[in-house]
Amino acid sequence: MCKVLKKTFLVVGITGILSAGFVSCNNKAKEEEPEEKIDSTQSNFVKVENAIFSIPSPYQTASLIKKLGVTYNKDLCNQNKNLAQYSTNFKKGLNLGVYGADLGYVAIYEQSQDALNYLKASQKLASDLGIGSAFDSKTIDRIQKALGSKDSLLSISALAFRAGNNYLQTNERNDVAGLVVAGGFIESLHLTVSLANQFKTQELFNRIGEQKNSLDNLIKLLTPYYEQPEYTEFIDQLIDLAYVFDAVETKYTFIPPTTDEQNKITVINGKSEVIITEDQLIQITQKVKNIRTQIVG
Amino acid sequence: MKKILFILFTFLSFSVTNSYSQCDSIANRCLKNLPPYISDGQNYRALLVDDEVAEFHGTFFGGSTYRVSACSGLQDGNLIFSIYDRDHNLLFTNEKHKDAPYWDFKFNYTQECIIETHLNKTKNLKSGCSVLLIGFKQN
Repeated sequence: MCKVLKKTFLVVGITGILSAGFVSCNNKAKEEEPEEKIDSTQSNFVKVENAIFSIPSPYQTASLIKKLGVTYNKDLCNQNKNLAQYSTNFKKGLNLGVYGADLGYVAIYEQSQDALNYLKASQKLASDLGIGSAFDSKTIDRIQKALGSKDSLLSISALAFRAGNNYLQTNERNDVAGLVVAGGFIESLHLTVSLANQFKTQELFNRIGEQKNSLDNLIKLLTPYYEQPEYTEFIDQLIDLAYVFDAVETKYTFIPPTTDEQNKITVINGKSEVIITEDQLIQITQKVKNIRTQIVG
Repeated sequence: MKKILFILFTFLSFSVTNSYSQCDSIANRCLKNLPPYISDGQNYRALLVDDEVAEFHGTFFGGSTYRVSACSGLQDGNLIFSIYDRDHNLLFTNEKHKDAPYWDFKFNYTQECIIETHLNKTKNLKSGCSVLLIGFKQN
């Protein structure tokens, strides 16, 4: 993403000089172009540099876990006492993501005191990373007032993390933004794997397999920073994990979607299936455990 | 020569800073369309020039409903977004829905999707920061 921005903004600069004007996001030309049907297959793609990779919010998997009736287990989360040992920005970024995922997990189970503790841990790491404004006193007050309301708490916390992500991107610190996302992904996967092994629930097995593409996206997101020593080992571990995921089989059948124009909603009807074996689950469990131990330890 | 380079550098720096701040304000405007959905905590942005297309790769979990909010510039409808499945079947484009700035998507099964965004050609936009925000709720 950093690479994307660097490239695109360089284009902006050069364009600006040539036109002796400033770039406008709403630059209306004097002459109206005739409306034409856009065929994306004919568009000018910038496939590599303009590709953006998304990792699902850890809150979504936490919601699934709660929905399945799995009992709350705080021991699965990172301990607050570990906070003091995160001294590098690399560790702080990753563990901000970890605590963020844990915050979502405990919030969904409406564990107010635990949520407050993870909130404080997140606030401390965010402040150390220079994104304390995402967790400013106003936001903290709002979160504290929302402690009794699961939905409000999740919503405000998610907005705080989005604000942090926005700040990091605006200030060209996409590497740190990537670490926060990575920490959240691994913690979410750790929670899912641990509970799947304990409760043997098909929905959780599926959710693990469904992370295959997200893991690939995460690796692509972090790859621009591969040369930085701390990233090298971490990304290598993710790639090693991705090799196991590669063997997880997915099937997909296209079914046309249905759109409700009035309510502005489209139902995506396509069917998908994940086939994950016992052996794959064992390997994923071990590798996730190793990666997470290095992050939180 | 050094003076020219300095001026060039200063201008480039200003343009870059200006573009970043534009992305920032666009993201904040785009955010207003997200509630009551919960943000996924990320901002997806790319600067587009002419007919460039930005691709967004993501996983959408079955049993969830998502809201995609897409913005560029100061007005709604400046950004066209189209969603494709993993086989590149078109699932939705806001172009067919009055360039709607946001839309909801209910996924019955988990899907890998690609969202493509480009500037709305009918508005003659030459360049702009495109911002995509995603919110979700459990069904």
